[in-house]
Parts: sequence; C-alpha cells; structure tokens
Amino acid sequence: MAIAGAVARRSATSRLVEAYGQEFVVLGAIIALFVIVGAVNARFLNDNNLVNIFSGNAYIAVAAIGMSLVIISGHIDVSVGSLIGVLATIAGTLAVQGYPVWIAWSVPVLVGIVINALVGALIAYFRIPSIVVTLGMLSILKGGLISYTGGTWITNMPPAFFIAQARLFGIPAPVYFMVALTILMALWMRYASLGRSIYAVGGNVEAARASGLYPERICVLAFALHGFFAGIAALLFATQLQVIQSTVPPNLELTVITAAVIGGVSILGGTGTVIGSTLAAILFACISSALVFLNVSAYWLRAVLGLLILATVLADMARRRRHRAGGRL
Amino acid sequence: MSRYLLRHEAILAILLVLALFVLALQSDRFFTLDNLLNQGRLMAEVGLVALAMTFVIVSAGIDLSVGSILGLVAILLGIFWQKLGLPLPVAMVLGVVVGAIAGLVNGIIITRFRVPPLIATLATLALYRGLAEGISQARSVRGYPDWFFVLGQGEVLGIPTQLWIFLFCALIAAIVLGMSTFGRATYALGANAVAARFSGIPVDRTILLIYTASGLIAGLAAITFVSRVSTTRSDMGTGLELDVITAVVLGGTSIFGGRGTIIGTLLGLALMQALKNGLALAGVKGDGTIVVIGLILIATIVISNLVRRDVDG
Amino acid sequence: MTSLIELNGISKSFASVRVLQDISFDVRAGEVHALLGENGAGKSTLIKIMGGVHRADTGEMHVNGNAVHFTSPRAAAANGIAVVHQELLLFPDLSVAENIFMGHAPRTGWGALDWPQMRRRSRELLDRLQSHHIDVDARVGSLSVANRQRVEIARALSQDARVLIMDEPTASLVEEDVQQLLSIVRMLRDKGVGIVYVSHKLPEIFALADRVTVLRDGARVGTAPIGELDERKLVSMMVGRPIDQLFPKQETKIGAPLLEVRNLSFGAVVRDVSLTLHAGEILGIAGLIGSGRTELALTIFGITPATSGNILVDGKAARIGSPQQARDFGIAYVPEDRGLQGLVRSQSIQENISLTVLKTLATGPLIDHRKEEKLARDSIARFGIRARGPRQIVRQLSGGNQQKVVLAKWLATEPRILIMDEPTRGIDVGAKSEIHALMSALAARGLGILMISSELPEVLGMSDRVLVMKNGTLVGEFDRTHATAEAVGAAMTLANHSGEAA
Repeated sequence: MAIAGAVARRSATSRLVEAYGQEFVVLGAIIALFVIVGAVNARFLNDNNLVNIFSGNAYIAVAAIGMSLVIISGHIDVSVGSLIGVLATIAGTLAVQGYPVWIAWSVPVLVGIVINALVGALIAYFRIPSIVVTLGMLSILKGGLISYTGGTWITNMPPAFFIAQARLFGIPAPVYFMVALTILMALWMRYASLGRSIYAVGGNVEAARASGLYPERICVLAFALHGFFAGIAALLFATQLQVIQSTVPPNLELTVITAAVIGGVSILGGTGTVIGSTLAAILFACISSALVFLNVSAYWLRAVLGLLILATVLADMARRRRHRAGGRL
Repeated sequence: MSRYLLRHEAILAILLVLALFVLALQSDRFFTLDNLLNQGRLMAEVGLVALAMTFVIVSAGIDLSVGSILGLVAILLGIFWQKLGLPLPVAMVLGVVVGAIAGLVNGIIITRFRVPPLIATLATLALYRGLAEGISQARSVRGYPDWFFVLGQGEVLGIPTQLWIFLFCALIAAIVLGMSTFGRATYALGANAVAARFSGIPVDRTILLIYTASGLIAGLAAITFVSRVSTTRSDMGTGLELDVITAVVLGGTSIFGGRGTIIGTLLGLALMQALKNGLALAGVKGDGTIVVIGLILIATIVISNLVRRDVDG
Repeated sequence: MTSLIELNGISKSFASVRVLQDISFDVRAGEVHALLGENGAGKSTLIKIMGGVHRADTGEMHVNGNAVHFTSPRAAAANGIAVVHQELLLFPDLSVAENIFMGHAPRTGWGALDWPQMRRRSRELLDRLQSHHIDVDARVGSLSVANRQRVEIARALSQDARVLIMDEPTASLVEEDVQQLLSIVRMLRDKGVGIVYVSHKLPEIFALADRVTVLRDGARVGTAPIGELDERKLVSMMVGRPIDQLFPKQETKIGAPLLEVRNLSFGAVVRDVSLTLHAGEILGIAGLIGSGRTELALTIFGITPATSGNILVDGKAARIGSPQQARDFGIAYVPEDRGLQGLVRSQSIQENISLTVLKTLATGPLIDHRKEEKLARDSIARFGIRARGPRQIVRQLSGGNQQKVVLAKWLATEPRILIMDEPTRGIDVGAKSEIHALMSALAARGLGILMISSELPEVLGMSDRVLVMKNGTLVGEFDRTHATAEAVGAAMTLANHSGEAA
C-alpha cells in the first residue's frame, strides 16, 4: 500500500506535527496574540498583566487537565464548575473554623476525589450517559451550595491559608502548580500504563476489554483524578482573593471543557494531551485580557469562546473524516 | 415497547398522585386553584421547550442551547422594539424567527458536519448566550406596553394565557409524535438512524426540522417569559436546559433515543413543578429544590436502566 | 502429537438458550485446525470460551495438560492463547506499536512504559510477518484492513501465543492480501503455533487446514483430517443435508429490461459498471467481499449516489439521489446487515413493515393505524413470519423471521426491482429455502431481482445469469448453463494485478 510506504519514510518532524498539531496551533495563536495586542497596546505586555493572565487563570488550566482525562476516556463532565465552587467553600469554611491549614487544603481535594469517583461509578456500572449524571450533579452541587451558604461571602481566613498568593522568585504559586501538574500529567499520560489505558478505553472500549483492561475501573479512575484536579483548582480559586464568593463561578464548566477541546482533546475520546489543554487555558486568559486592552467589551468574550469551540469541533470532525477516508484506501 | 412505556407512565402517574397527596397534607395552600394555576403559569416556559425537547431526545439527540436561545430571543425582542423602533408584534415575530434560525443552525451543524448533538449544542450554548450578552451589554429593556403583559400575566377564561398556549402546543406535539408519519420517522431514526435511512426516511431533513422547532419554541417561550417578568435580561433562561431535560427524561423518554411520549413529558413536568412548589411551601429554600431535581434525574435514569435491562434481558 | 489446548464436554447457554452442547475440541502444536459451521452454529461462542471472554457452563479445558478456568481475556493470554478478531479490535487513534503492546507493554526499571523497546520489538514482530512496510509509529486508523490485521497478528505473537485463534480472517480482504495471509499462517504453523482457523471459504480450508471440525446447531458434527473430506461432504456436514436440495429453481419467462445501468461509477469503489436486469430474472452478482458488490447496490439505491454514469428504469433515465427516490422508482433493497441497516429491532413488526410506506398508510399527515395493522397481519400470513402478532418486537424473532420482516417491509412498497444483498446470511436452513422459494415466486410474477451473495452455491443455484465483480468493476458474465463453480470462482479470484497491492 502506497500510503503506508510513505508513512514509513516520513520524517520525525512531520510526525511531531501530526501528533501535536493542535498544540502547535494553540501555541502559535498565543504568540500571535501577544505580538499583535502588544503592538496595539504595549501595556498588555507589562509584568502585572502577564502575572494576571498566568496566575489568575491557572486554576482553569488545572481543572482542564482533569477534564481532558475525562474527555479522552470518552465522557464529559458539565458539573466541574459547581464542584469547584463547592470545594472552594469547603476549604474556606474549614479555614475560618480554625482547622489547621493542611486540613483546609486536603479535605476539599479528598472530597473532590470521592464525589467524582462516585460519578464515575454511576456512569461505568449503571451505564448512564455521563452528560445525564453530570447534569444532575451540576444541579445537586449548585443547589446544595447556594442553599447552604445563602450566597454569603467567606472572609477572615488565616493568612497561611492563601496558598495562591505565595510567590517564589517573584512568580506566583499558581503558575508553579499549573506547570508542574501539566508536566507531571503529560508524563503520566505518556509513560504510565494506566495513563495509556485511558486513551485505550476512550478509543475503543471493546478492544480495551479484549486487551485485558477493565473499562469500568478506568472510567472511575479518570473521574477520580478529575476530582483531584478539581480540588486543586478549587484551592487556587479559593485562595487567590481575600474572600470566597461561595457561589459557582458562572459557566466555569464551559470554559474548562472548551480549554480541553481547543487544546486538541477529541470530543469523541481517545486522543489529546494535557499540554494542549493547558495552552488553550492560557490562550483564553490571553483573549479575555486582550479584549480589555483592545477596548472590546468583555461581554463579547463568551461569544468569542463559543465561536472558538465551534470552529475547533468542526475542524476536528473534518480531520477525522479525512483520516477515515485515508483508512479506507 | 408500548407496554414498557405504559408501565413507566403509570408509575409516574401514581408517583404524581402520591406527591400531590403528601404535599396537600403538608400545606393547605398547596391544593388551591389559585396556587395550581399559578404553578401552571410558572411551568409554561419549561413545558413549551420540553415538548420540542421530547422530539429531540426521542431522535437520539440533545439540545443544550435552548436556554441560550431563550436569552438571545428575549434580548433581541427588546432591541428590535426599543432600539430599532419596530412595532412590538413585528419584533415578537422576528424574535421567534431568530429562535428558529438558531435552531436551524444547530441542525445544520449536526446533520451537515456530523458533530455529535451534545457537542454542537454545547458550543452554541456558549455562542448564543455570548451573543445575547454582547448585544445587550448587560442592559435590560423595560417599559413594554400593557397589552403585551396579557401574554405572560393575563388570563383567558380564568386560566393563565401562556397555559393555553402551552396546552395547545402540547396537543399538537402529542398528535404529531404519537400519530403522524413525522413522529414515526422520529422514533425510527432515534432507534436506528441507519435503518431509517435505508427505509427511505429523510433522516437529515427530519433532524433539521426537529432542531429548528426546538429553537422556534424556545423563542416562543422567550416571549411569554419576557411578558411574565416585564423585562429582558441577557441571563434569562440560564440553566433552562437542565429543567427541560430532567422533565423529559423523568417522563420516560430514553436518553438513548427511540422511545418516549408527550404524555410522559407532561407527567414529568407536573411532578417536577409539584415538587418545586411543594418543597418551597414546606420551607425549603429555592435552591434546595434544584438539589432534589438533580437527585430525581439521576435516580430516574438509574431505575429506568435497571427496568429496561430486565425487559430486554 | 500433544494437544496445546483441549476442550472436553463444553456446554454453554445464554438466557436458557443452549448455544453449545457437549463440545470436544483440541488443537495440536504445528497444525491448522479449521472450525466450520453455518452462522449461529456456535463457532464464535466456542472461540470466546477459549479466548476467556465467556465461561463454559459445564465441561473442562486443559492447556498443556493442566486444567484451566479463564476468567478474562488476560488469563487466556497468559496461557498462550490469543484471538485475532474478525472485527479487528484495535485502537484507531493510537500507534501501531502501542496497539501491539496494549495491556502488556514492556516497562523500564521504574515501571514506566519502555517506548523504545516497545517500538523495537514491534518492528521485529512485523518483520517476522513480512510486513516491513508498516511503520510502528503510524496511526492504526490510517492503515488498510489487511495491515490492521497484521497488527492484530503481531499483537498475538507479542504475547508469545502458542494457540492463535483466527475468526474469519479473510472475510474482508482482497485476493492478493488473502494469499499473503495464508502464507503467514503457514509460516506460523511451521514454527509450531497451533492455529484455530474459522472461515466460510472452503477453498481456503482445503489449502490450509490439517484437520477440520464442523459444528451445527451448537453440537459437534465431527472432526476429521482434511484428507478424508471433500467439499460436498463438508457442506452436507454443515447444513445437515445434501447440497442439491438447497436451491429450488423455477423456470420463468424472462421479460423486458427493467433496470439498465450504464457506465455507473461511485468514486473508486464502483467503476464503470454496466448491466441490464430483466423482468422475471434473477441476476446474481458474485465477488469477494470488498469487490464492490455492495457498493454497487448502495449506488443504485441512492445511499451513495453515483458520481458518474446513468441508471434507466423501464428505459427512462432515473436520477436517484436518495433511497426515497429509488423507492419511488420501484426499487427495493434488502440490505446486507439486517440488524443495522434492515430493521429497527427495538420496534414492533408492524412499525418496521410500515416504515417504507408511511405515506401511503397515512391520511394527510396522520397514520391510519387500522391500515397499518392490516398490512402487518397480511405480511405475517403471506411470508409465514413466526411471531406472536404484529406488535411483537422484532429483536425477539429468529434471524430467518427477521429477514422475512425485511422482505415484507420492502415488498410492501410493491417494487418491480428488488436488490437483495446476502439474502440468507446468518439464517437457518429451513428459513433459507423458504426465502429461496419466495425469490423464485417473485421472479415468476415479473420482478427483477439483483442478488448479491458470498455463497457460491446460492448464486449458482438461484441465478439466471451471474455477473462477477472484482475491484469495483465487472470482470465476467455467465449464463445459467455456463455458470459452474470453477468458472465463477476463477473469475472472482483470478489475479489481474491492478496496482492495489497490500
């Protein structure tokens, strides 16, 4: 077959581009945005704004890592925004009530893991589509949170609690979290057999089963990990300001899903990397900041994001159709 | 299948009677005509959208963008009327047309580009809401003429106007889904789109029509919504899709497509609204009721999956 | 000679339906043991038991003399048993190397996946299979079917399989690939691997097998060395009666041309096909899977509208861009895949039959339920569908009765041209001859029938004329008297190299 022959002789560069094409596109978009917006308004590039972009949105990137795992495994979670709201409130409440800081930090992460492992179990063992379970969770978490807090703000946390405000070498802690977790997970997804199992299950459940994998357990694992990252994201979110608003950040789940999808995670499961989702989260942060510096009303941000998702999804479908056509030769 | 559905609906009906009974015991304000009619008024928008959503889910699709379409149409209604100075009836018609176009766009993305409905409408959920926000710049429109409020606040023959609209639409929807060739095509393609296509059913055209109708009816709901609350805001209808999908799925429509009825959806709606109202009267705060709805949504599907496995097994 | 794997008295039921009854079977080192039987005979269940997917209800299994109880595919693999699945269970988005080693990848000292080793060993395995052209880093989704199959075989070898179970491995291969596969199988056999080879294609069995076991209706009919068998004997073992009784043929008067196809093409899969179908004629189309037979049918029926060429119905040009239009021209299509394309199995008999004629059953937009039910009752009587009533769910019917529902729903459109793709695949022998009798009767009433079949005896027995397809084009035409198994078989398989190697 002529195609396979060509593939065998293909250069390493083109393979890299094929494997990480979307990641390169997103990276290119970020750089282009910096160059263009920086040229229009130089203040865009000053330290403060850059810190804002990277640090203020790190929690979205962290949550998107977990979301990527879930989508790669062939599912979706529309409740992550509410979950982050709930976990942030748990962290804040514990801190205010005088529990040691390490408890205020670790309990929400554990709760996130447990809740999402349960969600994963419902999906895997009862065969309920993830969209339904997580829609239900969205409403349970959101309703529970608001009726518990009544929408009041949490204040007066002890100073040690604010992990997101710490700095090392002038760089805020959230950036370290974002970078470290992304690299760690990228390695795990590449070199751990469990990490590869997530791709396998998302790509072809039956084949995964025939390969001796346990798709149900892997689904629970993907959701539990997603819960872990939601927990970390909630900590970064809760500790970046002096108050916790203890409501759900509006449409956070959508932003997180969008980051994963635009970063190259296929909506149909089985492909994508966490590097891509982190880059995409950074891209969003840049776009929303850029709108401000370009004097565009921030109210257009969501429309821009919507268009971005749509464009990415359409491109993904077109790419898949090309691949399928190629496979038929 | 019909036997299964009947059973599901019978269970639902019994559940509804039980719920009404318990709620009536809990609070003597619950079982009054005023309260019930008022609940019907509050249910009308969710109900309207749920009718179209029943078709969508029976066809093995989903439409997450209905809340955003509602918001977009509400905003445009205000803009058309106040900013562009169009007569209000024209603005209303235009608004509904925009809703239909928004639905048509969903349908085109799904049929033409083969994007899964979940993802397609998740994207347009963001897009339409974004347009509503961008166009309105968070400013609301008020000061509609008095006649306009007949739609959302008035009564005809002692029954809220929008409840008439809803009941009329429900009747049409029940006939179309249950008795017409179009309804039969919807069931067939929801259960097996390939076989439907091989049988000469115009699958893509049917799907396009369904999503267009979903957008159109969300537009209609937007107008009664604006009339009911006397104002337009860009965040109107946020989370509507959750209520609607819950009602439809609660009503026995399979999330995998191929089965469901309008009667079931009506029962699902009634049960949901009764719970909301009853819990509120029993002193549960507004947001507590969403928790219950979420729990019911998950529980229903778990149970119906278990039941279905028995039937198929 | 010792047995690598030995099964004794294996029985298995699903939901109180007995699928396997007291089966004994064994595979020796260095032999190809062919497993034959009609669809539904229990072959795939037997394979799944050996592969660890299902567990037998009774009976025992020994590997190298040790009793084993497989609880998972992993356990079977650990005992040296690997399956090459018919549907090729692979991960299209992952690389070749990863597909080969999914679930048992080499690790480094740290426990991390050892990618370099994985790629190197994949290269070695593929080279052993003479597949030097497959790149270990290529996405599996971008490979041809034949190459994907080699990836599956490499995957089996990577687990040091001593027993390799191949489930209809040549079902979707073109002829050149088949020959290469057979040589790979021979090479593995010579290295001492025991191979269970499932296939419907008797020539392959005779070319490859050392022993043959035939299953029928879940029971073992017999096991014999290939030397003691001939084709006729094998078929009668499979179907339980001599082959000659299978295909009733009525003499019919051939009438005027109904359907004329002129230089029809669809992309590269159907190329420049011309044929004429007459009233009262059964025109058989033979060819291997992948030869373009089904694609031709799909193009005539409007599922994949022609990219060039013309279709004439009754001598008048017919533009067919959708199944609806084809139906309105009086064309009906009984598709290849009954469950996916033919029926909505979760719906009732009544709903399935009316699906093609909703418009004619309706007054205005509303369906007339009385008419609909009458149509269903009439069809059940006319086609002898064994069911509780028009409202029974189609899924609950047997394969043969399901096929009759498909026929009923299409004959409800009162077609004049009937395309039947694998009309008797996967149905029992009784229903098969009923359907053949029905086809004869329809032809006698003046319908033109275009029949696609992979079963050569069926094509030869039923057709007035036989066309042979290969690589998307017609390569031969035989009338009834000249259509012998040898001639048609040769036309189907003869290599006229057209650069489609691999």
